[in-house]
Amino acid sequence: MIARLLLRVVSWSVMAYLILPLLVIVGSSFTATSYLAFPPQGLTLDWYGRMLADTSYLAAFGTSTLLALVATAAALLLGVPAALAIARCEFPGKRFLLSLLMSPLVLPHVVLGAALLQYCAALGLMRSFTALLVGHIVIVMPFVLRSVLPQLTPEQRALEEASADLGARPMETFFLVTLPQIRSGLASGAIFAFISSWINVELSIFNTTAEMTTIPVKLFNYVQYTIDPVIAAVSSITIGVAALAIVILDLTVGLHLLSDRR
Amino acid sequence: MNRALPLLAAPVAFFVAFFAVPMIVVVSSSLMAGGVPSLGNYARVLLDQYHWDVLAATFRIAGLTTAACALLGYPLAYYLVRVVKSRALRRTCVILLVLPLFTSNIVRSFGWMVLLGRNGLVNDALVGAGILDRPMRFLGTELGIVIGLVYILLPFIVLAVGNALAAVDPALEDASSDLGATPFDTFRTVTFPLCLPGLMSGIVMVFTLAVSAYVTPALLSGGKITVFPMLIFQQYSTVFDVNYGGALSMTLLVMTLVLVGLAGWIGNAGADAKGRAAR
Repeated sequence: MIARLLLRVVSWSVMAYLILPLLVIVGSSFTATSYLAFPPQGLTLDWYGRMLADTSYLAAFGTSTLLALVATAAALLLGVPAALAIARCEFPGKRFLLSLLMSPLVLPHVVLGAALLQYCAALGLMRSFTALLVGHIVIVMPFVLRSVLPQLTPEQRALEEASADLGARPMETFFLVTLPQIRSGLASGAIFAFISSWINVELSIFNTTAEMTTIPVKLFNYVQYTIDPVIAAVSSITIGVAALAIVILDLTVGLHLLSDRR
Repeated sequence: MNRALPLLAAPVAFFVAFFAVPMIVVVSSSLMAGGVPSLGNYARVLLDQYHWDVLAATFRIAGLTTAACALLGYPLAYYLVRVVKSRALRRTCVILLVLPLFTSNIVRSFGWMVLLGRNGLVNDALVGAGILDRPMRFLGTELGIVIGLVYILLPFIVLAVGNALAAVDPALEDASSDLGATPFDTFRTVTFPLCLPGLMSGIVMVFTLAVSAYVTPALLSGGKITVFPMLIFQQYSTVFDVNYGGALSMTLLVMTLVLVGLAGWIGNAGADAKGRAAR
């Protein structure tokens, strides 16, 4: 009984610990004071107004969004064929190839960012959108592979073969049979890919400039010098985007985490 | 059967061009000094006591973070999967767990900069409750960095352990208690061993992410504490010494991989021992 009570207390304290910082940021973005105050004193949307008036924030939001969208699209275009080949073919070095493609998940992003800075400088692409983009594609592709590969099962394969036997061309089979079958894997892979790109600092920071920067990197550079409620407002927007992504994820594929799917 | 093989051409070409080759460039630069092949950069890294101090601080912070994540995350995972009966409540909790994961490290660390400040909510609460006489310094201490990192990495452990727990058939636990085991014995001999692989993979993930974290330590250290990724960042962003920076990068990479390998090996050895004991 005491163990139960203790478990309950620890669990709810940990949940509170997980929610508190986000609550503080969103709350203090509405404060009427010129410094960050939590609980907020007064209630104003001024800081959001200031953020919208500063075009550099809008530009950074734009860069981040474009980067995350293009990186996700490219990761799908590269990752889905790779997953199909890995699921369907036997070839020497397959395990090695798969670990190579998945390794950006565990590799320190600082190391990869530094490597791409040096490499892209040699190619004449230093601190360009292209340099940012290739790095983001590398780090988000594992999410596509991880969510699509488990769906390419023998049962899924059987339907494809039936489609081919009935006279469908390979492209017809792919678009009419395979894609609908792996739809939920594509959706969750794409959402994880988008978000990982959208929130990245450690890789982006090497290839951004004062003019071309992403929103997390801009926040990072700003927070080291000043903390004011504008930062809280910008942060709150990113928290809103995260919440939106989770709602979409829940509605399209369902958040099945921590529940028994049998 | 192998008709699908050509599909690999584009993804593999891309990974070679923008992942493998850049990493090889870093390795080869790290082995060059003054235009000639040399191990001098590594000597510079490994023979300097300062680097060992920074590495020790980095791994100490990562170790404490991992331990705290496991100790806090395991009970929460168990509670959410085994105790919470309401599906709606569990779903809400899962959403609240994933929300921080979908938010940038910078935003989350920024929240702690506000909370842990001299006049922040944490100090106010501790002083108000009479636990402290005067505000304590968190920012610029290893404790502050650990608090921030635990916060960032905790969801990984909860999800890893929770998913492993959800896959354990409750019938096994029922059988154990029907055969007369106390709840604690059932947990110790049935539930815990069965979700040990989930816990181990969560621990490895948290540890590698903690060792390579740059943003959180940079914001919460207040310039007073240096962790290894900061040294790498300095070399590439301000000094632009790719040879020495490359050696630092490789040192971090190798040290991390060795420790991850070691953890996997200990985990496997533990699982084998358990398997033998069961037989």
